[in-house]
Amino acid sequence: MTEFDLIVPSTPDEAVAVLHAHPPEEVAVLAGGTDLLFDLDGGRLRARHVVSLRRLPWRTLDWNGATLTIGSTLPLRAIENDPDVRARLPGLYTAVRAVGSVALRHRATLGGNLGRASPASDLVPMLLALDAEVELVGPSGERTVPVDRFVEASRKTALRPSELIRAVRIPEARPSAYLWQRVRPFHDISHMAVAVAFSPAGARWRVAVAGFPPRPILVPAAEAALGPAHPSDPDLERAAESIVREAPIVADRRASEEYRRRLVRPLLTRAVRACGEELR
Amino acid sequence: MTGPLRPDLAEKLAGAAGYGVDLDVPGMLWGALVLAPVAHGRLTGVDLAPARALPGVVAIGAEDLPRLLPGREGDRERPAFPTDTIVYRNQPVAAVAAPTLARAREAARAVTVHVEPLPAVVDVESRFPDWPGPEAAGRPEIAAHVRARHGDVEAAFRDAGTVVREIYRTASVHPVALEPHACVADVEGDRWHVRTSTQSPFGVREDVASILGLPESSIVVEGTWVGGGFGGKGASFVEPWALLLAKAAGRPVRLALTYREEFLLGRTTLPAVVRMETAVRDGRITARRVRLLLDVGTSLPGRDFTTGYSIGFLLGPYRTPVFEVEGYAVRTNKPPFGPHRAPFAPQCAFMVESHLEHVAREAGLDPLAFKADHLWQEGDTTPLGQPVLPFGLRTAFEAARGLAAEWRRSAPPGHGIGVGVGFWSTSTGAGGEARVTLTPEGIRIDQAERDIGSGSVLVGLAAVAERRSHLPRERIRVAYADTAHAPYDAGVFGSRTVGALGRAVDEALVEILGRLGARLAARGPVTLGVEDGEVVVRADGGSRPLRALVTPEEERAGGLTASGKHYGRSGVIDEHRVLDGTFYAYTDFTGAAHVAEVAVDRDTGSVRVVRYAAFHDVGTVIDPFTARAQVEGGVGMGIGTALTEEAIWSPEGRLVNPGLLDYRIPTLGEVPPIDVTFVEGFRGAGPFGAKGLGEPPIIPVPATIASAVRDAVGAHVTELPLNPERVTRALSRTNGTEQGP
Amino acid sequence: MTAPAPPRCRVNGRSVDLGDVPPGERLLDTLRWRLALKGTKEGCRTGSCGACTVLVDGKSALSCLTLTREIEGSAVTTIEGAPDDPEGARVRAAFEAVGALQCGYCTPGFVMALAGLLKERGRGGSFDELLEDLGGNLCRCTGYAAIVRAAASLRTEEAEP
Repeated sequence: MTEFDLIVPSTPDEAVAVLHAHPPEEVAVLAGGTDLLFDLDGGRLRARHVVSLRRLPWRTLDWNGATLTIGSTLPLRAIENDPDVRARLPGLYTAVRAVGSVALRHRATLGGNLGRASPASDLVPMLLALDAEVELVGPSGERTVPVDRFVEASRKTALRPSELIRAVRIPEARPSAYLWQRVRPFHDISHMAVAVAFSPAGARWRVAVAGFPPRPILVPAAEAALGPAHPSDPDLERAAESIVREAPIVADRRASEEYRRRLVRPLLTRAVRACGEELR
Repeated sequence: MTGPLRPDLAEKLAGAAGYGVDLDVPGMLWGALVLAPVAHGRLTGVDLAPARALPGVVAIGAEDLPRLLPGREGDRERPAFPTDTIVYRNQPVAAVAAPTLARAREAARAVTVHVEPLPAVVDVESRFPDWPGPEAAGRPEIAAHVRARHGDVEAAFRDAGTVVREIYRTASVHPVALEPHACVADVEGDRWHVRTSTQSPFGVREDVASILGLPESSIVVEGTWVGGGFGGKGASFVEPWALLLAKAAGRPVRLALTYREEFLLGRTTLPAVVRMETAVRDGRITARRVRLLLDVGTSLPGRDFTTGYSIGFLLGPYRTPVFEVEGYAVRTNKPPFGPHRAPFAPQCAFMVESHLEHVAREAGLDPLAFKADHLWQEGDTTPLGQPVLPFGLRTAFEAARGLAAEWRRSAPPGHGIGVGVGFWSTSTGAGGEARVTLTPEGIRIDQAERDIGSGSVLVGLAAVAERRSHLPRERIRVAYADTAHAPYDAGVFGSRTVGALGRAVDEALVEILGRLGARLAARGPVTLGVEDGEVVVRADGGSRPLRALVTPEEERAGGLTASGKHYGRSGVIDEHRVLDGTFYAYTDFTGAAHVAEVAVDRDTGSVRVVRYAAFHDVGTVIDPFTARAQVEGGVGMGIGTALTEEAIWSPEGRLVNPGLLDYRIPTLGEVPPIDVTFVEGFRGAGPFGAKGLGEPPIIPVPATIASAVRDAVGAHVTELPLNPERVTRALSRTNGTEQGP
Repeated sequence: MTAPAPPRCRVNGRSVDLGDVPPGERLLDTLRWRLALKGTKEGCRTGSCGACTVLVDGKSALSCLTLTREIEGSAVTTIEGAPDDPEGARVRAAFEAVGALQCGYCTPGFVMALAGLLKERGRGGSFDELLEDLGGNLCRCTGYAAIVRAAASLRTEEAEP
């Protein structure tokens, strides 16, 4: 591991200023560290300065009507322990619990998960299906980017130099579900996953698939095929077919392409049915 | 029984038990290894200068050995460091030590290894695409060749009503003891001292002597608490490197593998391919033909025992009048093959059980009845011609079959019930000695082994002494000492601790009780007890304080002492049936029948084990608590072999998944409740007729689960592990047409 | 202006100066090699086995993935401090009563993880969920059977008013 110094700013402005003061390739942002520390250990990342966000006032979870805003440094465990998340965003609850172990989730954060943009993220597909937006702060002020545009590729985000994730905003509570497939049910990497959510405001489905590189993606053709709140079996069939046809599913060392495509139909069907029970 | 269930609970729960990784000696340096960058290559140079330039760093390679070991020549076949050829990726080529671990790692990275890569052989099937022919047996890459035959095989296959031919494949599995290999070595003059986490202090001494060319008398090995063994800590591993570093540095050196290294250098059970052919006529097996291609990595020629041993397990505990078996152990550019709780036996049981079930179905027979008809019982002869000794497997199997029928009645759709068997033999051939001392306070057992967690040492040996003497357990203490002070014992492996070392304890105790009996002129058995806080000797209905029976010499010597030895004898096979290589006879016959209920998700291929039952022939239960714990633990481990565990190598010989995230051992969520039943009365070779129990519980698990999966959804999976993708592939092949019985 | 106080945390009730701890040092190494609290075990060092689990402010934490400097101001409880922690003491007693260990290497992590869950969940939650929440702690010896029995015994106790 390379030697680094640890900088712990007390305010968001200070944090942004610290980032601005160093060349981007020399700085790493620590928002939990459960993923970052692997790369620092393995030498894949050679940061000379690590900026810890732990003192920033972003360990928050706020419901405003149907809108949920989660501060970027809130530990994941606090999200799953919020009774309203469990009741009103069941897909998010499941996706959060799919990450690592309890002890890991006590330290890992939503901002860290997004910022690291792991292709195997269990959270990104669910955030996609929930139309979540990322609130960013940087030297030139604040901006908001949809998750779909924020996560660009494996380990690549739309973050600009010196920019930080302040919060993630989920616009509305939605019937939602997250279904994953793994070799080992507990504590494993999902090698195929489907996130679905039904937007009451938009009266439409959102469908994301994940588990393969380079990144989780939304599949609009599947959303269209599902149609209104209660899709028929043929609708589901068409939606699954559109994913199998259109999604850029590939093989890696964890699963073959054929197996991943085979999983689309059962995972999608089950996810939509799980939402259907809430819609009823 | 009063007192704790195990004597080590309080110490371990306090976090006070010192394992190999916890060793911390004043002034010690931290060691690290330099690993080869290719799987096969010509080593043209190892440049240690950049490491040595770092402050406080000691670095050693092959060229330093003559200086460190003047006049000594170690085993040329397994040198501490390679001199000209790299034979597996991550083979240690040099070692460094430094005042801090960070500095040691930095130094290891600074070493330059010059290698000219050579083509690597990684996969046995691509090495021998048409299976090895007779000419292959003499080739250098064949580490062992075994062949045996009995009867007119060709005629039996020609005359059969049904012939079934299948190919099976099994994956490489790693022991995954949670504590990595770790030791602290210290060399003073010609005293080579190492404290280490091991299943066999004397085995480490023997290995170190061989590798470094030292006399055993100059080496002292002291065991620490062991954070799991499972076979992986049965031989030396890090100790020779640590000793060499300590010698070079003139200071103690700690060398522990990282968990990643534990996998990269790991001694695993390697992949195998097996061809099985069975002939059936009128409901009976008339002949079997089994051919094995076993990857043994860089194991040395002549050192492989697994091939000959496992061939017997591939025939299974079934009456087989006519057979032909042949096995090739193939060397590849992978780390050496290593033991893993009943090495390769769970894989063999999976293959033979799945195959015979398939044979029965193809022949239109009920698989369980077919198996029951063929299971060995006392009086049968094994295919290799050894008479079967008392064997409770048939009893266990009938109990399992009855339970399976009961479970099947209540199983919901998508669930399946499977039955599988496994057999094994307690390894009492490896010898052991123990010294027993009786004082008015109680019994002390002096011996060489640390308990590796199974309880076989701390609980098992005490339970043997309790059963023999009737002295309460809290008055019996099991002590250990280093190899300079303890009597010899081969090690805690092979399910032998209670069976072999326990017999040594029993023998010593019998001698002491005999001496006391003579002093009392006892007519009946002599036992011990405690009255008024003191040990008493009981015989013929009376009791006398031990104090009153001890001679002054014995009192001065600290009590009555006797030594026991047990060097067990194995049975005999019919050597006329052996055509090449070494086959092994069994000391005793132990076995188990398991029942599993699984839920299989047809769409995803996921298998969940819902409930599990195990029926074990143990001869005699010595300690019910630890016996049950062994079965629960073995089943838990077997679920990993069955469903999730697989070390995967790239075609270039790189281990793809060297970590606990992608090498998946079961978590709490994958292991269901396990019912354990013991079958007693079929006496084995151990004390009071006990049979070994460390290894047998893992053996039937993959077979049992595979059978249950087939019962649930008709998927006949011929590869381990049965991960979801393999189950879906098997389902596609059968197209879901097969129905459970 | 006064000089800033040196960074500190508490470990098993004892105040520890973190001033000399390098920024990259893991809590696991601080505990084991700086404070000689060897009860906390190093397993995979990648957050996949749970052997290094301790409590930080009463919540389970993977000490292998925690920078020591990041827990400045917090209270750490390790297996050595478990007897002085109400939940830690209860879990230890339950493990002892049913003999829920073999080699004992995973035990400190399991005890602390379970103690943390008892603190976090109080008397609520299902047993299945409790077991699911222990999924990050690996044990290779016991097949988890005795550990589940220990957890179940705590639950029975908990269910009483």
